[in-house]
Amino acid sequence: MHSVMQQPFKTAVLILVWGWLLFLVLAPNLLVVGASVMTRDPATFLSLPLNLDAYRQLFDPLYLEVFLHSLYMAAMTTLVCLLIGYPFAWALSKVGKQRQLILIFLLIVPFWTNSLVRTYALKLILATNGLLNNALMSIGLIDEPLQLLYTEGAVIIGLVYLLLPFMILPLYSVFEDLKQELLLASHDLGAGRLSTFINVIVPLTLPGVLAGVMLVLLPAMGLFFVPDILGGSRNLLVGNVIKNQFLDARNWPFGAAASIVLTVTMAFLMFAHRLSKRRIGEEGA
Amino acid sequence: MKKLALAGLLAVGLTGCSSEEPQVLNLYNWSEYMPQEVLDRFTEETGIQVVYTTYDSNEAMYARLKLLDDSAAYDLAVPSTYYVSKMRQEDLLMSIDRSKIEGFDQLDPELVNLDIDPENKFSVPYLWGTTGLAVDTADIEGEPVTAWEDLWEDRFDGRVMLTNDMREVFHVGLRVLGYSGNSTNPDEIEAAYEKLSELMPSVRTFNSDAPRMPYLEGETDVGMIWNGEAVMGKDTMESLEYVYPEEGIIAWLDSFVIPKNAKNPEAAHQFISFVLQPEISALISEEIGYATPNLAARDLLPDEVANNRASYPNATDMINAEFQTDIGDDALQVYAKYWEMLKSGR
Repeated sequence: MHSVMQQPFKTAVLILVWGWLLFLVLAPNLLVVGASVMTRDPATFLSLPLNLDAYRQLFDPLYLEVFLHSLYMAAMTTLVCLLIGYPFAWALSKVGKQRQLILIFLLIVPFWTNSLVRTYALKLILATNGLLNNALMSIGLIDEPLQLLYTEGAVIIGLVYLLLPFMILPLYSVFEDLKQELLLASHDLGAGRLSTFINVIVPLTLPGVLAGVMLVLLPAMGLFFVPDILGGSRNLLVGNVIKNQFLDARNWPFGAAASIVLTVTMAFLMFAHRLSKRRIGEEGA
Repeated sequence: MKKLALAGLLAVGLTGCSSEEPQVLNLYNWSEYMPQEVLDRFTEETGIQVVYTTYDSNEAMYARLKLLDDSAAYDLAVPSTYYVSKMRQEDLLMSIDRSKIEGFDQLDPELVNLDIDPENKFSVPYLWGTTGLAVDTADIEGEPVTAWEDLWEDRFDGRVMLTNDMREVFHVGLRVLGYSGNSTNPDEIEAAYEKLSELMPSVRTFNSDAPRMPYLEGETDVGMIWNGEAVMGKDTMESLEYVYPEEGIIAWLDSFVIPKNAKNPEAAHQFISFVLQPEISALISEEIGYATPNLAARDLLPDEVANNRASYPNATDMINAEFQTDIGDDALQVYAKYWEMLKSGR
């Protein structure tokens, strides 16, 4: 391949990619790491000496509780996304090419609208005088409006709505690669539908599941505006803690340390993802 | 209010096409705290475009201005009471040239030369207001609500709203226990936290973006509100009442200041003078429901505005009222921790 590529062009691409990674990925992250080991200072935000106080503060039972609750809501979001996304992606891979294009297009269209605007729209739907309650009352399903807005459920609905495509797309790609021959072979060897699903389809689509989980779980802990708008500033996510530390409490080292925890969790998940891919690759070989 | 900011940006973008470089005033203000008409008239009169950017807490405003860099180059900001002294002492403000300000002498003598800025070298009062109780009388049964303490009653379960403001919420908790809303005593703050955590199951939402909205949307019936928001809310919902709680309201004074890194301090001075015109000050107070410190403007107000107790409290309403003061960084950290606990508790 590289023999085809012109040398100057290759160099330019490499400089661009490395430059991008160095200045826009590595440098900001190093700044965050740097901030997390400094001392908080009311006048200048950050000061010396270096220490690990911010990380120690993370183990305060309070923040542990926020982190766990945030993880719980993100996990629920991921689960719901998986339950909807898995059959959706499967069905998507079964329909004709023309329809596939249209469906994927429809999946992506909402991204053209800012997610903040879409979250406000969701608020109008879930409100006490909102569309959903009015519709349910007019068809006589309920007499009193349901309290949907400003609940944990509303936050999860919001997160699922915003993140569902990130679950569907990687799943779709593994279903596309799923070889029909393997399924036929499974049938020929006497496996029933359930057995084929559990022993063949699930293991083969696992990398897609893990990729989807990664793309949903971590962002779900960071989208602070969803609890702010739909959760009534309650049901906090780790993202809210980070935002509050930077803006309200003015404790930058702690805010930085909290965001590093998210980054490390992400790295851990990616590592798990690679492991699973390698394992499946070996089995397939 | 975000619409306004957008409109402002759009206006700048449009005029940016003309050959002549238009003057711009970057105004950093609370959301829904300046009628569009005032901005339009200022532009009409002076040719200076106003870019209106909003914030919903002093903390957020302070954190941005503190950076003093180009991403936060505002020409005018409107901090509340003690934030003026805090920012002045931290050398974040430019002094205001009084010779360029017209109409300063019309301001209420009781609201100038305060401790926060003894000679008003750095600030010019814009509006003052209070945080009190909002009650949707149409949805409330039984005894009328008269005190902060009443929020703790069982009948309001799930119907209470608090502002999304750490100091204000703790102010309520502290006052109910009989302490000062400006307490720096960790034991008192903890006691207030304990008291407030009993209220939390009743609290449906926190809102400092537009505190009237949860009442208008029917999500909450009772809780905290800013008086101007209550006045604006009553226009849409007649049953929304503003109540002065027995334990005392929280009072504040918001002032214009010019940040040190302002790019167009000249325009900032012009804007302050423009707002100080009695006619403009009266228009603002009438439109957004907060009280103007401009005595000449008070005379121009229609009777129903001047006599509206929600906007202009009388002497008995102000009994036990407290202005917020700077509590210092140590106490702030104590508040911040309990605030986080309060909002994450379940």
